[in-house]
Amino acid sequence: MGSVTVLTVDDLAAGYGDSIAVSGVSLHVDEGEAVAVIGSNGAGKTTLLRAICGLLPTRSGVVTYGGDRLTGTPAHRIARLGVAYVPAERHLFGGMSVRENLELGAYPDKPDTGRMDMVFELFPRLADRSAQHANTMSGGEQQMLAVGRALMSRPRLLILDEPTTGLAPVLAEEAYASLEVLRGEGLTVLVAEQQVPLALGFADRGYVIEDGSIQLEGPASRLHGNPDVRRAYLGIA
Amino acid sequence: MASTELPVGTADASTEVAAVHHVPLWRAYLPVIGAAVVLAVVPLVIRDSRYLLGIAVLGLAYAGYGVGFNIIFGNSNQLFLCLGALAGVGAYGTTILGNEAELPMLVAIPASVLVAALLGAAFSWVSVRRQLDVIFVGIITLTFSLMFLNLLLGQRELTGGETGTVVLYDAGIVGARGLGAYYVFLGVLVAYLALHRWLQRSHVGWAFRALRDDELAAELSGIDVARYKVLAGVIGSAMVGLIGALYANYEGFISPTTFELGNVDVPVLVLVAFGGIGTLLAPVVGSTVFTVVDEVLRPFSQLRITVYGVILLALFLGFRRGVIPTVNDLVRRLLGRG
Amino acid sequence: MAVVLDGIAYGLQLALLAVGLTMIYGLGGVLNLAHGQFAVVTGISAALLLDRGLGLPAALVIGVALAAVLALVTDATLMRAVYRLAGEARVLLSLLLTIGLAFVIDGLLIYNYPFTQLNVRVPGPAIPVLGVPMRRGSLAASALALLALVVLIAFLRYTRQGKAVRSIIEDEEGARLCGIDPSRLRTAVFALSGALAGLAAVAKAMTSSIGATEGTELTILALIVTVVGGLGSVAGALLAGLLLGIIYTLSQVYIGAYVTFIILLLAAMVTILIRPSGLLGHGA
Repeated sequence: MGSVTVLTVDDLAAGYGDSIAVSGVSLHVDEGEAVAVIGSNGAGKTTLLRAICGLLPTRSGVVTYGGDRLTGTPAHRIARLGVAYVPAERHLFGGMSVRENLELGAYPDKPDTGRMDMVFELFPRLADRSAQHANTMSGGEQQMLAVGRALMSRPRLLILDEPTTGLAPVLAEEAYASLEVLRGEGLTVLVAEQQVPLALGFADRGYVIEDGSIQLEGPASRLHGNPDVRRAYLGIA
Repeated sequence: MASTELPVGTADASTEVAAVHHVPLWRAYLPVIGAAVVLAVVPLVIRDSRYLLGIAVLGLAYAGYGVGFNIIFGNSNQLFLCLGALAGVGAYGTTILGNEAELPMLVAIPASVLVAALLGAAFSWVSVRRQLDVIFVGIITLTFSLMFLNLLLGQRELTGGETGTVVLYDAGIVGARGLGAYYVFLGVLVAYLALHRWLQRSHVGWAFRALRDDELAAELSGIDVARYKVLAGVIGSAMVGLIGALYANYEGFISPTTFELGNVDVPVLVLVAFGGIGTLLAPVVGSTVFTVVDEVLRPFSQLRITVYGVILLALFLGFRRGVIPTVNDLVRRLLGRG
Repeated sequence: MAVVLDGIAYGLQLALLAVGLTMIYGLGGVLNLAHGQFAVVTGISAALLLDRGLGLPAALVIGVALAAVLALVTDATLMRAVYRLAGEARVLLSLLLTIGLAFVIDGLLIYNYPFTQLNVRVPGPAIPVLGVPMRRGSLAASALALLALVVLIAFLRYTRQGKAVRSIIEDEEGARLCGIDPSRLRTAVFALSGALAGLAAVAKAMTSSIGATEGTELTILALIVTVVGGLGSVAGALLAGLLLGIIYTLSQVYIGAYVTFIILLLAAMVTILIRPSGLLGHGA
């Protein structure tokens, strides 16, 4: 692609309490790219993403976004810079309606009806349930709402942590199909995923993370063909 | 990362106690003996002033309350905001049993202390069974405290209501309000301190430390948390109830305000926190300081509350661990980590 | 019937008193036991201003504003230490620090102004409501409380900032991810709770009076209503306020003063024992 680098992570270390969960992690995401971070449970994917998004303090290393330094910036300010994060637990506002959740996604701006229409077009099921409370919806619908809410702020970079958690295979594929649509519109995406085939099928490039550090990186197709990756994540001997 | 450790100096109790385990018996009880000796000498210095003696007795009483609070909150993290009410149960129980049922003091006192102990057990047991957070334990005990106050005020025939009630029977040595009374209170306080130390050194103390550290982990490693919390609740409540009963007999007169939250729970919290919640002699140190402060502030009675407030703020904003752990640390540092 | 109407009137005041307390808990997980003292500050300052010849509306407005400012300062100073902690530790420290603050305020006010009372007389004959003559003061207080509560609920339901506040109560991390700054809103709501306490004081002054010694009682009442309604639930505080208001007046009339208070306290205790999340609160 050879375009602008949107996100740069340089030698990042972060952890919980006294332990370090990720260290020496470096990666970058270019404008318009889709980058996947794959690894098994506990590999450090979530820690990495939370550190990038300001939800977890970093021990060392620098994260830059456009011209701004993200390390040391509080999460809400990072969100306002155009980085939208969809955590694995989604963190929706359960007692509030779908519409209210989406409106809040646009905070501090006024909710843009054009934007909301776009989200409803992308996820028609949300339109049907726009007055329903978020906590009465199914897992798949909640995932859609979480992504929709993130999109309301017109982000430049969308970061997703295991978007297919708890979703049936059909819904998981639908989720990635939606992400493809968004990519087509120029959105830059960084996704952490355990379901490696889906992730590599969607992304341009990937990073393999295990035990808190990057083990492999490269174009998605190359990773897909890599024997170690195939053995570890695709169940192919 | 935000800390979830309780903002009181309970951690220091474990350092203090860890040292205790490897220490010979006489050294372990030295603080108790020391306090006993020092306090025993006090009346000899002030014996001519009945007034000062009265204040000293009050100081001993509050130190006694403090040991109870220390055991309940400092050792097992149960925020009982009903100590005044428990003392009131002891006091009013004794007085009413003595006045109305004409039971002798030696029967009335244990009976009312038993009631106080059972109440404490009930609070502990219910809190554990319902898995109540510290704050809810605080609220229900606070609620009980207020209910008890209103009960006292409302049941006028029995309790004399606002005007209080007088002890009509012979309260023996304690009622005579002389040196003998002082030594009775002192004896009780020393017994409390010795009991607290004994608990710290026993398997009970070990269980307390474990459940203070991490209740869930303690439960999972086989410690019956409920049993130890109830034990702490019972012992502490009995202690507080007994002091209340003795105090009623001493003063010869009690009224609902004597055992109000602001008159018991708050000063006790402040004085124990000042001394260092969880440390053995905190109640003694705290009570001494506050008895003096109280006297000095007597002419400005309303400002006493303000001073307590300021001290509370200072304690929990900065000086959180209290005097004794801070002094301990200082000494340790001066002696080069001896 | 008259008693029930009185109960509703009192209940609205209780709800107004409690709603600020419950919001602060919902937003920041802190308990402000100096809440009643904030109310008293409004009462005393308004009374003092009235003494100096200031007009009633101005005195009341300044009194309420003063409570809001006091709350703001408290959040900006004391609560900083509290927010650094989390969970149980945070609640406990907030409890201890605000008790300290309550004492400081109580002591200063009672010492300096022991006899100052705020009393807002609403002149005129009683107005019949549903056939029952209600004192004007009581009606004025109810109207004030109702208006304040309606405005508050409208704010929370329909404005962007209000929804942001609700979102923090729902899921603080989710709110952060939407670009909402929880600590700024917390401070704003803390100040708001001070103002609401002040308004509750004004309402009380319309039905009876408010003086320096009543801080603790007001805090306790607010706490009871908050607990029964569910910590963090505005609707809960409203519902619990009305319920407890009616129970209170019924009990006062048919049973007696001391027992009434015991009943209210019992309500709080029973709620905690049976359903700690309260009537409408989020699950414990």
